[in-house]
Amino acid sequence: MEYARIRVIGGGGPDKPLFDAALRDIVARPTGGLIVVGDSVIKLVDDAGRVERQWSTEHPGYCAAVDAKGTIWVGEPGQIETFNPKGERQATWRDPDRFGLVTAIGFAGEFVLIADAQDRCIRRFDASHKWLNDIGNDNNTKGFAIPNGYLDFNVDDKGIIHAISSGKHRIERYSLEGKMVGRFGHFGQRKPADFPGCCNPTNMTLSREGLTIVTEKAGPRMKVFDKSDKLLGFVGSDAFDENCKNMPVAVDARGQIYVGDTVKRVIVVFAPQPSESGKTTETKPTTTQGAGTP
Amino acid sequence: MSEQPTRRDVLGYAVRGTGVVALGGAAAFLATRAAAEGAWTIDPTKCINIRLGLTGVDACALCASECVVPLSAIRAVNDYAKCGRCCICPAYYDVTSEVGSDGLPMRKLCPRDAIERTAIGEVDPDDPLNNFYEYIIDEDKCNGCGDCVMACKEPAGLGSIKLEVRNDLCLDCNRCAIAQACPDDAILREVKETT
Ligand code: SF4
Ligand code: SF4
Ligand code: SF4
Repeated sequence: MEYARIRVIGGGGPDKPLFDAALRDIVARPTGGLIVVGDSVIKLVDDAGRVERQWSTEHPGYCAAVDAKGTIWVGEPGQIETFNPKGERQATWRDPDRFGLVTAIGFAGEFVLIADAQDRCIRRFDASHKWLNDIGNDNNTKGFAIPNGYLDFNVDDKGIIHAISSGKHRIERYSLEGKMVGRFGHFGQRKPADFPGCCNPTNMTLSREGLTIVTEKAGPRMKVFDKSDKLLGFVGSDAFDENCKNMPVAVDARGQIYVGDTVKRVIVVFAPQPSESGKTTETKPTTTQGAGTP
Repeated sequence: MSEQPTRRDVLGYAVRGTGVVALGGAAAFLATRAAAEGAWTIDPTKCINIRLGLTGVDACALCASECVVPLSAIRAVNDYAKCGRCCICPAYYDVTSEVGSDGLPMRKLCPRDAIERTAIGEVDPDDPLNNFYEYIIDEDKCNGCGDCVMACKEPAGLGSIKLEVRNDLCLDCNRCAIAQACPDDAILREVKETT
């Protein structure tokens, strides 16, 4: 599969940053459009790339998620804030012991899953916010190995957690009880499917069809893997500023992929390009630039 | 390259300064005397190997080659508070080399084999990548060539390794030979105020 860059979403023009200092997360809304997290601001972006609404958070936001009721959850240092789609604050859930730095939030049935990048684990809570168990810290490294300081995960429709362990150069899969049920990826600099450098990939998302989409740093890239963990597509370094790291990634119902350029603080949008025969083509890197690029 | 003040220049400023404060009396003199002590230092915002934003270029090796001290007075120093203890540290491994059966690159980066890699705790025999590692730089071997500094720089690493002028090794030359050669004016004379 090939992915073409179709546009760039900036703040009032593709060259203008969406945020003053930091762009940290992108979420594709089930109803269309994006939720974009940066600085201490949440921005709702419509399908045309216009900021239709924005509001402030109490602390800098690191991630967001939308639950089944449409409530927007925002992860911050030490707490989670929830908002309705108009941006009105619903609640603040503080737990300094278990929410060191919340960098991802997910839902599995009645359970809420919170990534704490400070303690390097994913925490499971019930609907009443009672802590149930931690996931990913029953290992030799006492947690996910994330030298890049960011812990990202997604939950699939079977309730399996797919989490990045960037320092081990892989994606690990866990049951809700914390048992590792699978993993894929390995270090390498020579093949496009390899994960290079000290810690890659850094961020991920899952598509409705079960594709795993990841981003990498040094040099920045986006890769798409199919359900059997085979590399499907690859976008290389010249699509992003070479100093990007921890690039957030989201995918919408149409299969369009949104990657945050964390240096320019804009969103680069990619669309899959069907081949003429209707079948997917061989993996084709669009560039070979950047340190560590095969 | 800019002209660096010589030790004589610095002494001259100090003498002139002393003359002025002497007019204010002995107490003021003792309180404010600027001494001629100083040290050559590396400006991390200028050094090619350390400064952020410059990636994808070869490390500058002038600190290793230009110093009048045979092994150079410059050393790489790992700031343990910042180091990620990465399993595959790009400052330790040549990450472009072939990957071995253990999943690790087969060649080291440091041309002088000056970095030691030690597992923290027990290594998981079934999964050797499932560990953190400590990286210690052997000062008797390091010559400040900068390769590891460039490799650990953000965003590839965490920028925990920096180059420093080791004042116990530096001869404090009037005109530092590295400062004369440095293309980015990154070697500065830091004058310390003493009272
Ligand atoms: S790359 Fe830098 S931060 Fe990572 S282990 Fe090596 S020295 Fe430490
Ligand atoms: S500066 Fe050069 S010699 Fe010193 S530890 Fe780093 S790579 Fe080795
Ligand atoms: S002052 Fe002399 S000894 Fe010190 S770093 Fe410069 S050239 Fe080397």
